[in-house]
Amino acid sequence: MTDTATDTTAEAPQTPRVTEEELARKARRTELTSRWFWRILSYIVVLAVWEFALLDIFGFLRGTPLDPKLLPGPSEVVATFFEIWGEGTMPAAFQATLTRIAIGFGLSFLIGAMIGILMQSKWFEGFFKDAVLISLSAPGLIWVLITAIIFGNRPLGPTIAIILTTFALVTVNVSEGIKALPKELIDMAKSFQVGTFKRNRQIVIPHLAPYLFTGLRFGFSIAWKVTVLTEVFSSSEGIGFEMRISAVLFDMSEFLTWILAFFFFALFLEKVVLEAIERRYFRWRQAVTAS
Amino acid sequence: MAEIRIKNLHKEFGTGQDKVVALENVNLEITGHSFVSIVGPSGCGKSTLLNILTGIETPTNGTVDITSDGHVAAPGYVFQAARLLPWRTVTDNLLFVQEDRSDSTKQRCQRYLEMVQLGDKGDKFPGELSGGMQQRVGIARAFSIEPDVLFMDEPFSHLDAITARALRRELHHMWDETKKMVVFVTHDVGEAVELSNRILVFAKGGSLEDDIQIDLPFPRDPADDEVAVAKAHVLRKFEELDLLAS
Repeated sequence: MTDTATDTTAEAPQTPRVTEEELARKARRTELTSRWFWRILSYIVVLAVWEFALLDIFGFLRGTPLDPKLLPGPSEVVATFFEIWGEGTMPAAFQATLTRIAIGFGLSFLIGAMIGILMQSKWFEGFFKDAVLISLSAPGLIWVLITAIIFGNRPLGPTIAIILTTFALVTVNVSEGIKALPKELIDMAKSFQVGTFKRNRQIVIPHLAPYLFTGLRFGFSIAWKVTVLTEVFSSSEGIGFEMRISAVLFDMSEFLTWILAFFFFALFLEKVVLEAIERRYFRWRQAVTAS
Repeated sequence: MAEIRIKNLHKEFGTGQDKVVALENVNLEITGHSFVSIVGPSGCGKSTLLNILTGIETPTNGTVDITSDGHVAAPGYVFQAARLLPWRTVTDNLLFVQEDRSDSTKQRCQRYLEMVQLGDKGDKFPGELSGGMQQRVGIARAFSIEPDVLFMDEPFSHLDAITARALRRELHHMWDETKKMVVFVTHDVGEAVELSNRILVFAKGGSLEDDIQIDLPFPRDPADDEVAVAKAHVLRKFEELDLLAS
C-alpha cells in the first residue's frame, strides 16, 4: 500500500509536454482558419450588398423599387450561368478568347524577353527605354481603340494590342533579373570548372525563373483584360463579344453571368494553375521564407 | 602528389592613378600533404592570390603551375560564404560540381555529407539550414570532387566561435583522412596555428614577408602552452613587420 502511494506521488507532477513542432502546427492552423474566415466573410458581404441593392430600400420607400431586370439577384445569375453552359456557348467563347491571349501574349513574352536581353547594352537601353515607359504607363484602352480602328474585326488587332500593353512588363522583369545575376555563384561554378551550358541551365535560368514568372503573371492578367476589351469593341466571337451582345440586348442576367464566368476562370488560373507552378518550381523560396 | 609553383607573380588592378598593386613579385612552392595558411591584414592580396590560383582571376605577370603527378591538378574551393545554389537541394548542390550523376558519384557525395554530419539533410534546401550547416555543405562539396588541392577563403569568418571551432576539427580530420593539400586564407592567427603546418605571412601591398613552419603534433588545442607559444611567435612576426599597426 505504502509503495503504491509513493509511486503515484512520484509520477503525479507530470504535465503534458507540447513539442515546438506541435505549437508551430497549431499556430499554422489558427492562421489558416483566420485567413479562410475573412475570405469567406468577404463573399458573404458582397452577396449581401448585392441582395441589398436589389431590395433598394430607399427606392422602395419612394414607391419605385429597383427593376430586377436592371440588377438580377445572385440566384438568377447562377441559373443563367448553367443555362449558357448547357448551350455550349461558354466553352466556345473561352476558346476564342484564350486562343487570342495565347497568340498575343506568347509573342509579347518572346518580344519582351528579347528586348530585356538587348537592353543590357546601353545603346539598346537608350533605344527602347521610352517605348517601355510608354507601354507601362499608357492605359490599355488606348491601344485597344487604335487597333480596333485600324484593323477592325481582323485577328491582328487584338494581337497587337496585347503586345503593346504587355511586352514592357516582361522586358522590365527580364532586364532586372539579368542585372541581378548572382556573380558569386557563377564564379563558384567556374572555380569548380563547371561548363557554360551547365552554368546557364543550373544558375542563370533558375535565377531568372522567378522574374519570368512575375512577368508572366502580371502580363497575363493585363493581356486577359485587354483581350476582352478588344472583343467588346471589334470582334464577332469571344467573352468580350458575348458581353457586348448581352449589353446591347439589355440582358443584365446574361451580362453578369459572363462576368461571373470571367471571375471563376481568373480564380481557377490563380489558385490552381499559377499556385501549382509556384509550389512545384519555387519550393526553395518557401524554404528560404520559412527558415 | 600535388605541387604548386608560383614564379614572379604580380597582380595589379586599374590603371594610371587608380592603379592598385594587389600582389608583388610572389615566389612560392607548396608540395604534398601540407596545410598552408596565408595570413595578413585586409588588403594584403590573400583573396587575390587564391582567385588567381583557382583561375577566377588572371595574373598581370608571372606564372602559376598547379600539378599533381605531372598532370594539371583538380582544385576544390571553399568560400567565405557557402555559395550554394538556393534552388537546389543539398545533394543536388554537391552533384552540380560533379562530372556525372552516376550511382558511385551519388554515393561519394553522400559519404562526404556524412563526414560533415549532414548525412540526413541531403533533400533539404540551403534556406532550411543554419549558416554553420551551409558552410559544412560548402566543405563537403569541395571534398566531394576529391580535388588534388583544396583552396579555402576565410571559410569560418562568418560563423560563431563554437561552430567555427567544431568545423575546424572536422576540417582537420578530413584533411588527415584524405591526405589532400589545403591552402587556407585567414586573418585569424590562432586559427592558422591550430590548423597549419606552414604559415605564409603577407604584408599590405601584396608581398610575401615570411614563411613559418609550425612543427607541432595534431590535433592542436588552442589552450596548450606550445600552441599558445607558436601563436605568440607568429604575432611577434606580425609586429616585426609592423602589420598589426597597419
